[in-house]
Amino acid sequence: MLKLLDKDKTALLIEYCVERFGMSKEVFEEYQLYEGSKNKIYMIKELINLRFIPESSGLCIFRFDKTPKPTTNFLQLFGSKIKINVLDISKANLIEYCKGHDLEINVKKNNIEPGFIAIRYKKSVVGCAHWNKKIVKNQLPKSKRCKINYS
Amino acid sequence: MNAEKQTTLQKKIVERYANIVDNVQSFDEAINRPLKQSFRINSLKGDSEKILSNLRKYDETIECTDWYNNGFTTKLENLGSSIEHFTGQIYIQELTSMMPALVTPDINESKRVIDCCAAPGSKTTQIAEMMQNKGEIIANDNKHSRLKSLRGNLDRLGITNTTVTLRDFRSFPNTEADIYFVDAPCSSEGTIRKKNTIRRNLKENDYNRFSRTQKGILERTCEMAKKGDQIIYSTCTFAPEENEKVVNSILQNHSVKLKNVNIKNLTIGKGITHWKGETYDKEIEKCGRIWPHHNDTDGFFITRIEKC
Repeated sequence: MLKLLDKDKTALLIEYCVERFGMSKEVFEEYQLYEGSKNKIYMIKELINLRFIPESSGLCIFRFDKTPKPTTNFLQLFGSKIKINVLDISKANLIEYCKGHDLEINVKKNNIEPGFIAIRYKKSVVGCAHWNKKIVKNQLPKSKRCKINYS
Repeated sequence: MNAEKQTTLQKKIVERYANIVDNVQSFDEAINRPLKQSFRINSLKGDSEKILSNLRKYDETIECTDWYNNGFTTKLENLGSSIEHFTGQIYIQELTSMMPALVTPDINESKRVIDCCAAPGSKTTQIAEMMQNKGEIIANDNKHSRLKSLRGNLDRLGITNTTVTLRDFRSFPNTEADIYFVDAPCSSEGTIRKKNTIRRNLKENDYNRFSRTQKGILERTCEMAKKGDQIIYSTCTFAPEENEKVVNSILQNHSVKLKNVNIKNLTIGKGITHWKGETYDKEIEKCGRIWPHHNDTDGFFITRIEKC
């Protein structure tokens, strides 16, 4: 069952998006945020009032563990709003990334700080990774991993 | 399914519908020809022209249909392994599956839509895109295993305006909406041009079994709908038992009327009013039959019902 995300957590999440990815607060203006099971955060304009509990509402955008973790869906949908901590990758790296592999890339020159980052290919954000100063750790869910033949 | 079995099925389909199709030879030839892969661009994920331009680098023969400016065909068989598919910029969808949304007037952000048998989400995501991710959609299906694909497609395409429910729609609680889509489970004869979609020879009992379910779902929508609401009923089968007969039953037992189904530049056959000794209401001619040989597509049936 979803419940409206409290003001503090909402503010924290929006602040995270602004500071981590350089997004504008306006991205969230039209939406409400709800918390579901397993610390998942959903985004929808307004919850539909049903006589029974639905399976899901809106789009799952974050998981609120120790730190907020953005979902692939969120980064892909709002990719054009991301200004910082975004790593542009080559075709070869894209193929490896979509298979679910980690990437050994020198990100230092890209001005990227340790933490969750957006992976971008040819101006489109394709997903999420985690940079720990050593390796770009793949965060793509298993269900999304696939072989790319056309890119 | 092996090639011999597939050919036998095609022959049986031609024999069964020889009396209601306008050109048996063209029909026979069409259902023996493979279908091109088709897709739709998801404008929620980027500029449509740019996406199309990128896709044309893989296949310069990509064509837009005459009747839908967002319906495309490609000679490629595996466009699903493109980065555009991965990022939700395109959706691989049968052309006929795109039609129900096109015959529905006023799909916009002020509406609430219920997709009664939504999985895997082809129509749901198309409708969400037409609504620009605004308004409200309830996407329902009755099998948990099917919800995974529905949820996956909604996520992949970045759909934020949809609520997913798991119910047998025949017992769905009263819920107000403006538009109902009933793309009912059916015998799927219309998909004969694709490999391995019809698993076995259908028996007369199968048609009746499907029609009972279809009738049940359609009746529930008629009970829930209020005056002026639109109900779009569709199947991917040729069988009148699952098409005209079901609609005729609804027409007789509920306060509804049928509206014409029109899509510019698309050839749509009329609903039939006689089948196996039964006669249906003349209004049934307003139903639409999509024959494979008319527009080089799958087979499909589509009706627009308005609650009175």
